[in-house]
Amino acid sequence: MTQILDSNDSPDISRRNPRFGAWLLMAPMLLWLLLFVVAPTAIMLVYSFCTRDNIGQVQLNFTLENYARLFEKQYFAHFAYSLLGGLFTFGAAALVLPFLRRYFPYRWGDAEFEWWRIAILCFVVGTFLVFNNEVDDVPGYFKTLWVSMRYAFWSTMICVVAGYPVAYFIGRAPERTRNLLLMFVMIPFWTNFLIRTYAWIIILSENGLLSGALQWMNVISAPLPILSTPTAVMIGLVYTYLPFMILPIYGSVEKLDNSLVEAAFDLGAGPVRAFSNVIVPMTKPGIAAGFLLVFIPAVGMFAITDVLGGKSQVLIGNVIENQFRRANNAPFGSALGIALLVLFVVTFWLASNRGRKAAAE
Amino acid sequence: MKTWFKSLAAVCTSVVLGFGATVARAQDKELNLFAWSEYVPQSVIDGFTKETGIKVNYETYASNEEMLAKLSAGATPYDLVQPSEYTVEALIKADMLVPIDHSKIPNMVNIDPKFANPAYDPGNKFTVPWMAGTVGIVIDTDKVKDDIKGFADVFSGKYARRIVALDDGREWLTWVLNVQGKDINKITPEVMEGARPTLEKWIKQVKVFDSDSPNDKLLTGECDIGVLWSGEAAKLYKENKKYKYVLPVEGTHQFIDNLAIPKTARNKGAATAFMNYILRPEVSVLISEDFPYTNPNAAARKLLTPEQLENPASYPPADAKLELFHDIGTLQADVDKLYQDLRGGM
Repeated sequence: MTQILDSNDSPDISRRNPRFGAWLLMAPMLLWLLLFVVAPTAIMLVYSFCTRDNIGQVQLNFTLENYARLFEKQYFAHFAYSLLGGLFTFGAAALVLPFLRRYFPYRWGDAEFEWWRIAILCFVVGTFLVFNNEVDDVPGYFKTLWVSMRYAFWSTMICVVAGYPVAYFIGRAPERTRNLLLMFVMIPFWTNFLIRTYAWIIILSENGLLSGALQWMNVISAPLPILSTPTAVMIGLVYTYLPFMILPIYGSVEKLDNSLVEAAFDLGAGPVRAFSNVIVPMTKPGIAAGFLLVFIPAVGMFAITDVLGGKSQVLIGNVIENQFRRANNAPFGSALGIALLVLFVVTFWLASNRGRKAAAE
Repeated sequence: MKTWFKSLAAVCTSVVLGFGATVARAQDKELNLFAWSEYVPQSVIDGFTKETGIKVNYETYASNEEMLAKLSAGATPYDLVQPSEYTVEALIKADMLVPIDHSKIPNMVNIDPKFANPAYDPGNKFTVPWMAGTVGIVIDTDKVKDDIKGFADVFSGKYARRIVALDDGREWLTWVLNVQGKDINKITPEVMEGARPTLEKWIKQVKVFDSDSPNDKLLTGECDIGVLWSGEAAKLYKENKKYKYVLPVEGTHQFIDNLAIPKTARNKGAATAFMNYILRPEVSVLISEDFPYTNPNAAARKLLTPEQLENPASYPPADAKLELFHDIGTLQADVDKLYQDLRGGM
């Protein structure tokens, strides 16, 4: 009996010991998270409900003013408009789709249940498009947030389109070439990012290399004003984040089983079909990782907009930075930071939820 | 933006030195100077270190509000700060400055009587003047042929996206108030609301906002008109006579920047020594050479070349409409809010 008890006890103890060891190994990382993620976020959360005195010191009073400032009243009317726009597209889709199915049945197959899904997609897209159109007319911080997301979205898209072929080419190259090419992608990291961004001033300024070269080739007659425009900001964003798109996609491409691609060709798929039905789905994890690595930092970026946008192209990152520095208003800066954080958490949660559902199906 | 490099460098140095200091207890041999970017010549810092053996850590900011933010956050024990006149008022009111020991600053006698005993700090109890200047308009006369007389001409709409301007809320509001003929120191919520539409129109016309080194954008031809500090304008004029400095007919801000010791300072002795050092005529001249603002040091002015004294941006005519700022207390926060709302939410 005692022997049995002993044998029952001992595995528990032996299990407990490695657990303690594991915690010990994890400790540096947990401490890091606590110090540099949890603590600052907690401070920010508290600050975001505080007020400031006239020289900018944070006062511990409770207020919702900082969050109210983010949402101007006019926005609600525009939200309503956008929903109407979405409903309209939804209605249009609901009317048109059954007809489409009737006339092109072979395209839709057994699509009895599919039409409402497409209609809902139409609703979401319609709302988005109308809102996107409306938001430009309402100055305010929400607009800045929206515009920042737009910048981040398009720079991510450009990075995907420009980065994918490069990553694919590198991933499929023979090993020696591959390492060399990978090094080329990483060489920019040897120089500080701010210095590289400043270098773009020399290229993009009116008396700069690009403008000069184009004038010399007689493509344009007057100096090209690119610096301090949205284009310059976009160039800066794509330039900075392209490697962060290439590397994860490369990781997926490298693992791609060549026999599956060959099988696709053997089974009669053309290059386009093989690419869209086999290669892209199999490298999706890389694209998704790249998307997150580019989109999230791009939304909050402020150095590029400061240097290349002349501070006249203001994104949400600049606004937050300004609140902590020039405007000397840490509470409002914190509220903006928290809003951005909540937005990311919600997006991430929705995305992972969908991923889990898809996996379950 | 240059401040970034500098602050990065300053952070690195202070981290390294911070470790060094704890080991070597060299704290009394260091001076943490927190000053405007593009304002303290390296030669002055080096000269001070050579003479006293005190190492100077120069960290920079680009607006008074930014300085207040960092000072009140209290992360770094700054020994010397460089506030403008209205911020001196605010700091004195908030009881954040240490009175200076006049017996240790014999060079006080060199200060021009016009700049000694100022209204914002009676009897120079807390501060010594560093440099004075104005905010005005610089025109690249090769590109702009119109006769620009004031702010209204600059922001007429004709030069949209060819303008570089300071990134400073109080300044911006002042420009509008000057054009509207209002008192720049009588700021109320109604006055701000009245300035808002014009401010919004003007801000949209700016291509580059820069308080650090706005003259870069004129030198590279990126912008044709600048609304900036007179010292920057004087540097441009030194470079090329085509850059004309215009003091706005509507009137403008005259600022007086000062050195002051915050209460959190650890090395007050070094800070006082630095104040005395920069008031020496031969040192003050070095500042004028690199940053040609209006030198408030009468003894130093005698050493300046006629060319330096004739630079219209450095030494404005006596009849110019100039006015100092006064502290506006809690309303400063509202000015910042107005300006940032317009800048950030466009």
